[in-house]
Order: sequence, then C-alpha cells, then structure tokens
Amino acid sequence: MNRKFGLAVVVVVLGAGAMSAARAYDSDWKRGRIYYRQICTTCHTAELKKPIAPNDRTMAEWASYLQANKHNKGKDTVSSYFSKQYRDSIKAKNPAAAKYADVPEKDLIEDVKAFVHKSAKDGDAPAGCS
Amino acid sequence: MRTGRFMVALMVALMVALMVSMPLIPAAHSAPDEDSAKLLKSTSDHTKFKVLQQEFNSGPEVTKACLSCHTEASKQLHKTEHWKWEYKSPDGQLLGKKNVINNFCTSIRTNEAACNVCHIGYGWKDDTFDFTSEVNVDCLVCHDTTGNYRKQAGMAGNVVTKAMEFPPGSGTMIKPINLKKIAQAVGKTSRDTCGACHFYGGGGDGVKHGDMDSSLASPEKELDVHMDALGLNFGCATCHMTEGHQVPGSRYAPTAQDKGDAHIRGKEYTTNPTTCQSCHGQAPHKKIAKLNDHTDKVACQTCHIPKFARGGVATKMSWDWSTGGRMGPDGKPLIIKDAKGHIIYTAAKGDFVLGENVVPDYQWFNGKVGYTLLSDKVEKSEQPTRINHFDGSADDGKSLIWPVKIMRGKQAFDPVNKRLAVVHTAGNDDTGYWTNFNWEKAVAVGMASIGAPFSGKVDFVSTESTWPITHMVAPAKDSVRCHECHAAQGRLEKVPGIYIPGRASDHAGWLDTAGWALAVLTLLGTLVHGLGRVIVSMRKK
Amino acid sequence: MPRMYIFKRFERFWHWAQAGLIIFMLLTGFEIHGSYALFGWEKAANLHTSAAWTLIGLWLFAIFWHFTTGEWRQYIPTTRNIVAVMNYYSVGIFTGAPHPFRATQLSKHNPLQRLAYLMVKLFINPLIWVSGLACLYYNELAASKIAVLAGLPLSTIALVHTAAAFMMLAFLIGHLYLSTTGHTPLAHIKAMITGWEDAQESEPAAAVVNAGGR
Repeated sequence: MNRKFGLAVVVVVLGAGAMSAARAYDSDWKRGRIYYRQICTTCHTAELKKPIAPNDRTMAEWASYLQANKHNKGKDTVSSYFSKQYRDSIKAKNPAAAKYADVPEKDLIEDVKAFVHKSAKDGDAPAGCS
Repeated sequence: MRTGRFMVALMVALMVALMVSMPLIPAAHSAPDEDSAKLLKSTSDHTKFKVLQQEFNSGPEVTKACLSCHTEASKQLHKTEHWKWEYKSPDGQLLGKKNVINNFCTSIRTNEAACNVCHIGYGWKDDTFDFTSEVNVDCLVCHDTTGNYRKQAGMAGNVVTKAMEFPPGSGTMIKPINLKKIAQAVGKTSRDTCGACHFYGGGGDGVKHGDMDSSLASPEKELDVHMDALGLNFGCATCHMTEGHQVPGSRYAPTAQDKGDAHIRGKEYTTNPTTCQSCHGQAPHKKIAKLNDHTDKVACQTCHIPKFARGGVATKMSWDWSTGGRMGPDGKPLIIKDAKGHIIYTAAKGDFVLGENVVPDYQWFNGKVGYTLLSDKVEKSEQPTRINHFDGSADDGKSLIWPVKIMRGKQAFDPVNKRLAVVHTAGNDDTGYWTNFNWEKAVAVGMASIGAPFSGKVDFVSTESTWPITHMVAPAKDSVRCHECHAAQGRLEKVPGIYIPGRASDHAGWLDTAGWALAVLTLLGTLVHGLGRVIVSMRKK
Repeated sequence: MPRMYIFKRFERFWHWAQAGLIIFMLLTGFEIHGSYALFGWEKAANLHTSAAWTLIGLWLFAIFWHFTTGEWRQYIPTTRNIVAVMNYYSVGIFTGAPHPFRATQLSKHNPLQRLAYLMVKLFINPLIWVSGLACLYYNELAASKIAVLAGLPLSTIALVHTAAAFMMLAFLIGHLYLSTTGHTPLAHIKAMITGWEDAQESEPAAAVVNAGGR
C-alpha cells in the first residue's frame, strides 16, 4: 500500500516534468529582438566596432548560420552565447542577460531565430540595427 | 523498525516530490508558466476562427471578417481623429492632418496617395474618399502583432498582397504581405504598431517629433524609463488609455497643467489620463521634497527629459525647401549625405539640419495652440511665420514651463496673395515637385485643390513650428540637474517672468553692486584702520 | 594678571556655532545667488537649508537662554559714553589712550557693541529669518489665502534675503576686525574662547561706566 503510494507520487512528479518539457514553444520575436540587440549587438559593437544588422543577411543565410552553430569563424558555437552560463557571466552588466537569466536556452534561440528570419534582407520586415 | 525506516524514506520522497512539483502549482497572482501566460492573454485564439482561415486579397476583406464579430468597431473608429484627420479646436480653428499645414512635407492635399499610407483606412486617395465606409477601416495597422504588416506609400493606404512592380515601370518589386497570417495573430496595440506611423511622422524615422522614433520600439531604460523593454515595458496605450478606440492625449488638445490627483481604480475622472500627474500625483518627489515646489511652474517633462532624439535616430531641426531642385554632375537629382550617412540635401526637398541628443527649447505653455492655416495671410519678414505656436505666460495661472522642439524652415508661399502654399509633391505625374522640380506647376495644382487663389508666383518664407517634448522620459538619475537651470545662461535663460535663484539675469543689479561695495568698503575701512594701528605701534617701539 | 569671567559656557558655544554657521551660509548662500560656483548648486542649496535649520534651532535655544538668564539686558541700547567710545576707536586707539569702557559680567558690551549687536539681532537676523523661510515655503505662501502674502513675488523675497545677506557680510567683516582691537590683538578672541578676559593693566578708573540697567 505504502509502496504503491510512493510510486504514484514519483510517477506524478515525473509526468508533470515531462509534460512541461514537451510543450510546443511559440517563439517570441520581440524577445528575440531584445536579445539580438541588447546581447548580440552590444557585444558585436564593442568587439567588432561594427554591429551585424539582421538585414545584412538573407533568411536562408540566417537559417544556415544558426543551423551550423559556428560563431567567430568556428572558434566557438552560436548556442554558447545563449547558454545560461554565458548569460550568468554577463548579467551583472547586461540587464537583458539578467532579465532572461532563467529562460531556457532553446527558447531564446528560437526567439532570435524568429526575429532574424522576419528581419532578414528578404524577410517580411527587414530591419537594420536600431 | 523496518516500517520506521520506510516511513522516513516515504517522508523524504514526499518532501522531494512536493518541492519539485511546487513550481508547477500556480499560486494566485504569481507569474504563470508560458502556456498559461498565453492562455490568459485572450479569450480568443484568432487562428481558430473560420472567417480568418481564408486567403485575403485586400485589406477591406480582412476588415469585413473582423466586423463579423466586432460589429461596432468601425463605427467607434469613425469617431476618432485617427480616422477623420480633423479636429475643431476650442478656438474654432479647424485642425487635424486634413487641414493643417506644417513645415515638414507641408500638406497632405494632392499628396494623399503618399501621405495617407498613415491613415487608418484603405483607399483615401483624394476628396472622394468615403468616410462612412466600415470596411475601409484598417484594423491590422494597429492590431498586428507579427511586425510584418506593411502599407505601401503611394497606394493610398492599401496593402500589397501579390508581388507587384511599384511605381509602375520603376523595376522595384514590392513584396506582398500575408494577410491571413497577420489576421490570425491580431492582438493589442503596441509600441510597434503605433510607431509604424508615429515614429515616422514628417516622412521618415524620427523626422518630426524628436521625442518619438523607432528607437522606442524596444528601448533601453536610459532612453525611456517607462517603455524600457526589459522593465516596465509600457505600451503607448498604457498612458494613452484607450476606451472604445478613442485615444486620449492628442497633441491637438494638450493638457499643459494637470492639477488633478493620481487616478485610482473605481473612481471616475474627467482629467486627461496621459499626463504624468494622472499616475504620479502632485507631489511625486519623496526623497527630495523641495523638488515638489517646482511643480507649480515647471512641467515634469522639463527636468525628466534632458534631451530628445536620444535613441540614435536623428530628428530634423530645420528644413529649407527653397534650395530644392539642384541636379548633380550626372544630371540626376542631387543627394548629399553627412559624415554619418544622414541625408542633408535632396533635390526634392532642399536642405536639412539634423539633430541628435538635442537640448530642448523651453517656453510657457497653457495648453492652447494657435495655428497659421492655409486661409491666413502671411507676411515675409525678419520674424519667421509661426506655423503653430504655444500660448502661455508666467502669470496666467495655467501655464507651466515646457520643453519643446522648435522646427525651423523655409517653405513655399504665394507672395502676391500672401498665403502659405499647398505643394503637390508626391505623385508620378507632370506636376509633382518631387519628379519635376517645378514650383509653379506644383503649387498651382496644390492651391487649386483647396480652391485657393494662386498668383503664379512662388517665393519662400521662413517658418517656425513648435512640438511638445513629452516622450523619452529618462530615469531619475539622468534628469536635469539643479545647476543646469539655476545658473547664468542655463537652460531656462530665455524663459521670462519668473525668478530663478542663481540666474544672473534675475539679479537686481543695483543691489549686487551696492552689496559688494558695502562689503569691500567695510574691508577697506578695517584695513586702513588696522594699518594705522600697526604703524602707531611700530613707531612706539 | 587678574582675570574676569565674562562669557559663560553656553554663550561661547552659541557664539562660535553661530559664527561657523553664518560664515558657511554666506558661502553657500552667495553660490545659490549665482555669485560663484563652489560646492555645486544642488549641494549648496541643500547645505544652506540644513545650516539654516540648525541655526534656527540654535537661535531658539539662545533666545530662551537670553530671557531666562536676563542676559538680554546686555543689549539694551544706551548713548551714555558713546561719544567717548567713538573717540577711542577713531583717535584714542592710535594714541595709546585707554579704552573708555571696561567689560564686566553685568555689562559685557560697550555702547557701540550694544548698538551693533542689537541691530543684528533685531534687524538683520529677523530679515534673514523671515525672507529665508519665505524662500523655503514660497509655494505655501503663493497658495495662501492672504492676498498680500500670495501676491508676494519670489523676486522680492529673494531681494530682501540677498540684501540682508550683504548686511550680514559687512557686519562679519567689521566684527572680525574689531575682535582684534583688544589690549592685545588676540585678547577678545581669547576671551570668547575661554570665557576669561584679562583685566587691563592701566585702569581707566574714572571712565568706567557700567552702562545698562542694574
């Protein structure tokens, strides 16, 4: 009896966890825009002196760039700049990183993907840097 | 013994389970998970409406679908200035975009197909537009959430649903928009939707207002403490609290001084909900109470918006139409850019002066704005013609010191009939100034459109217009410091009728002279007396 | 040398605290007025206001002290012997003549001092107090139901305050100088610090005038 109860608890807990993990994610291009501008662009502007605008690339170029997951000519990965670790490392100085500290990495990548997709050179609403 | 150990294990398991599942239990008013957040946003999922599951070929088709549920929406909109572009001022002046003239692109008349891309309707290309049409109200331009809705200038506010060449023969292809996707994703208005027009007033990003440009779509806290995308994240409608599509806070009917209380839920208010006071009340400074002593004379904006055009987008500060029409060495209309790549001259429009991080002008403002209209006589003189001007004075009891942007320019007028000119600028035709660079032809068409006489002569007159600065509210730490006004030649140097401690021009000169003279003479007297004593005591020795 | 206890402990504290505050307020006040930049306007204004409240507090104590101890009588003006004192400062002080006045516990101030201090206490100080408070509470004044007060422009209030400040400045300069006119340049200052004044060697016996009430 007791054992069955314990088992039930474990099943319920695991089930709930699995369900929340499996939900379909609806990307949020506006959050992607904030991440892109306040995290990607802020650093690019500081490091490269010249930011990369969404409309510098086509939708296909953005898609393959994100797919390849190679940042800085393959020295590191794009996704590492979405990792919780990365956000934690800059959050003292970057309010966007602080605000999104606990958002799943995958969701943020999806958000930025949605933003660059629509804002690409041939996207539905091409966008520059500001 | 065994049962005991088992019980302990069970307890631990239970507690662990509880802790793990805790975040899954929504507490009242706590941040819900994303699924709930989405659910709680609206009772309607527009993708599920049959009427929206169709391909739309035009804007009015979408509106028709909207109206099948939102039956009264268009009637509400018909009552707005957004639709009418007309407003009768308390002084009886007929204003609104339809009637006024400004010193940017001047007038919409004869240019409707281009200008009216920012009308919340479809098809206003000339005087024949039907203002009673319900299907011609554009729902999507305000309720789009995808950021992909776009109206094409030159098409009288209509949208492009199939790829087309525009202007015809130009070789430029216009990308169509997907109305079905956009219609299925409608939602509340946002900085992006309002900004689609209001950020671009005057014909381009940030051109007109100075305190409104695309940098406010997703601003950082330093740019606007309320709209801060990561913080308070105000939409436009958070302040411009709209009911029944009636948007309060129009520049045509401004509230210069709000002596009302902060609005509390449940209480009825007749005061403008867009003022600072409608949330912050009359004594908002808690830490430095002395600052509250300023609110009887100084608008909040004066200290809290230290500069405008702070978001990296330049605003036009002056516009000289009289220099238009120059051709480059290649025989094509000349375009000149500054070092930053901003256009400062085009043959079509003349010379511009742009400004970023601009310190506003300051003046007394009591909420009344007077306009020079097309029917008013205009004299060419040293004093610029005031396209509009803010009324107010130090002692009318209704005015506060407001920050403003003064837009200066030179624009076409008829020197014989002494009227500001309506210029037919846009349009791929024989008379549009932007294609033919012939003032006389362009003005003739413009003046004819309003039934005004035209002498056939065009001259240029200096003009000035005044724009309130009220957006781009900085965080308190960046507000204007005391010494920026309490000083000689400070920000408020030119504001008359008020005594500002520290402003040298307010000093009674005779008192300062007499006072310092008294001090110096006293000092001299004591020095002479003292010297005498020293000499006497030295002689004694 | 025989000594006399002239200035009591509270009196000395009051004097020096007031001196410091007044100098500080002149310094910050003329910055607020726009005569120069020293602390920065905001800081100057804050410090000036804090100092004003401190000084008002101090004055309240001092007024209480003056009346409870009867010391207020020290400031009752008199013309007796005033010509002699004026003569001393314009002539006698150079010829080595003795001071016609000798301070005692009952009469610490010579007739000129009495007049000067009374003028400060009854004219300059109240002018500064009232105009200063009016500056601080200008908004409340403007909202007042008394028409005369409500109609008082800030420029007038500031004018009075500034004028009073100039008078205070002139007084301070004169006072500082006259503090060196004791039988030694530091005698008066020493007395104000310790409370004890040296009895003068050459007694101006005949001229001793204990002007005043008792």
